[in-house]
Amino acid sequence: MMKIRQLHAAYGRIEALHGVDLDVGEGEVVCLVGRNGVGKTSTMRAIVQELIQVTKGTVEFDGASVVGVPSHDIIKRGIGYVPEDRRAFASLTVAENLRVVRKGAGNGQWTVDGVYALFPHLAEGRKRLAGVLSGGEQQMLSIARSLLTNPRLLLLDEPNEGLAPKIIDEIIAAILKLKQERVSMLVSEQSLRTIRACGDRVVVIDRGASVFHGTAAEFLGNPEIARQYLMVSGH
Amino acid sequence: MSFEHVQSRWLFAAVSLGLAVAMLMLGPGIALLATEVAIMALFASSLGFLINYGGMVSFGHAAYFGLGAYGFALAAAKLGLPLWLAVVLGPLTAALGAVLFGALCVRLTHIYFAMLTLACSEIVFTVLFQAYDYTGGDNGLTNFMAPRFGLSPQIYAALTVAIVALCIAFLARIVRSPLGLAIQAVGEEPHRAAALGFSPRLVQLVACVIAGTLAGIAGTMYSVFQGNAFPDYAGVGITIDALVMVVIGGVKGFYGGVFGAIIYVLLKTFVSRAFTHWELVIGLILIAVVLIFPTGIAGLLQKLGLSRTARPSGEQHP
Repeated sequence: MMKIRQLHAAYGRIEALHGVDLDVGEGEVVCLVGRNGVGKTSTMRAIVQELIQVTKGTVEFDGASVVGVPSHDIIKRGIGYVPEDRRAFASLTVAENLRVVRKGAGNGQWTVDGVYALFPHLAEGRKRLAGVLSGGEQQMLSIARSLLTNPRLLLLDEPNEGLAPKIIDEIIAAILKLKQERVSMLVSEQSLRTIRACGDRVVVIDRGASVFHGTAAEFLGNPEIARQYLMVSGH
Repeated sequence: MSFEHVQSRWLFAAVSLGLAVAMLMLGPGIALLATEVAIMALFASSLGFLINYGGMVSFGHAAYFGLGAYGFALAAAKLGLPLWLAVVLGPLTAALGAVLFGALCVRLTHIYFAMLTLACSEIVFTVLFQAYDYTGGDNGLTNFMAPRFGLSPQIYAALTVAIVALCIAFLARIVRSPLGLAIQAVGEEPHRAAALGFSPRLVQLVACVIAGTLAGIAGTMYSVFQGNAFPDYAGVGITIDALVMVVIGGVKGFYGGVFGAIIYVLLKTFVSRAFTHWELVIGLILIAVVLIFPTGIAGLLQKLGLSRTARPSGEQHP
């Protein structure tokens, strides 16, 4: 459903991506793996045309190019983006954060009750201001908000970064549930937990280019790759 | 800021009606003062809306006040249109100006937005000041109507309070609506709002037009109130007045502009009688507000538990 070929993209004159190839199939969970600063976030931004300019290569979604399409129209094509820093609307309540979306998107399967069921934590605190939520709760809110736009492809940028293990379990459980609902996802990661739990395929990024494509089993079965491009001990 | 708490509609209607009726019982001098307070409350509220909800600090809001005043005064004095039509044309002129300037200004953000709004209002001021044949230049437009349509100060005060209350109720409704949430969302995180399907510039333009039109209504009412129009109505001085009102009143509360206007106009009126340099007092108050209670009067009342216009402090965003 999404096909990226030889993607080059730049912030002003500084090129950040120099050749990313990436595919996400219908209902698939693809994990985007790499160290800090290698271009995972830039890849996601290039897909939603936010802050970064695509200079070469193609980004196609459902057969149509999204390069140059304004961010607010990308969502209408069915791509949802949950950025690394979450960005809940701090001065609105949880319920209001979710209400902002509803008018912006077309009809679809996701309702406010649906996302509350996915994240019971949010339902309990629906009257609280998003600015006082914990990082994990903000992450849930940000995912929930994005779901209400009924994306067919959801981009999750390091959804587990900086969260407590117990919260990570909840987020991963939610990702698994979304996978059962056949939402395609591109999830960037620095640890291996999401890949183990629900990854179908893995793309490794290094210095702005994709350097490995394979199934999750191939990636996990070859610790040398993880060592080389992630330098994590596989925890 | 969330607006589930401005829901006490009936209380608002009762207070407004009570205030309007009270105007009829005041002495003429106090009624004139109350009229000015009410008009400024609307003007400051419209700027406060842009700042607090839209996240756009405008240094040129007086442009719309001036356009509202001149739209009315030119229609009445130069075109000889009936006054009721001129009264409608005033705010429409401001709305048109807000569409034009807004479309230009929302292309930029932060200080660049502020500077561009300043430039736009200076253009309006200069045109009003220089187009002597039409606007009378610095002499303004005068003697084309009896001030307040010849109504008594008390009746015009009651009328003004009623119109201002309606406008502020309208603003409260906007703030609570999905559009209002979108405006707040764009004000806080334009990129995230875009990722939810909103065009940030379009949402900001709508906010500018709402604020500009309400400022235009204030300008028209002020021109009717004085029975004249001067270029100063679009001058940077009036913008600064409104900015000070918004800061004193509170940049975190819906009624900040109203509180600010009451305090500012009263101080200006009474302190200047006793003390020539009344700006000094305003300046000291401004320093105190910014340093000691940056959420302004609205925030202070809320802290003391005297106001429902903001959330309980336990839920405040830090």
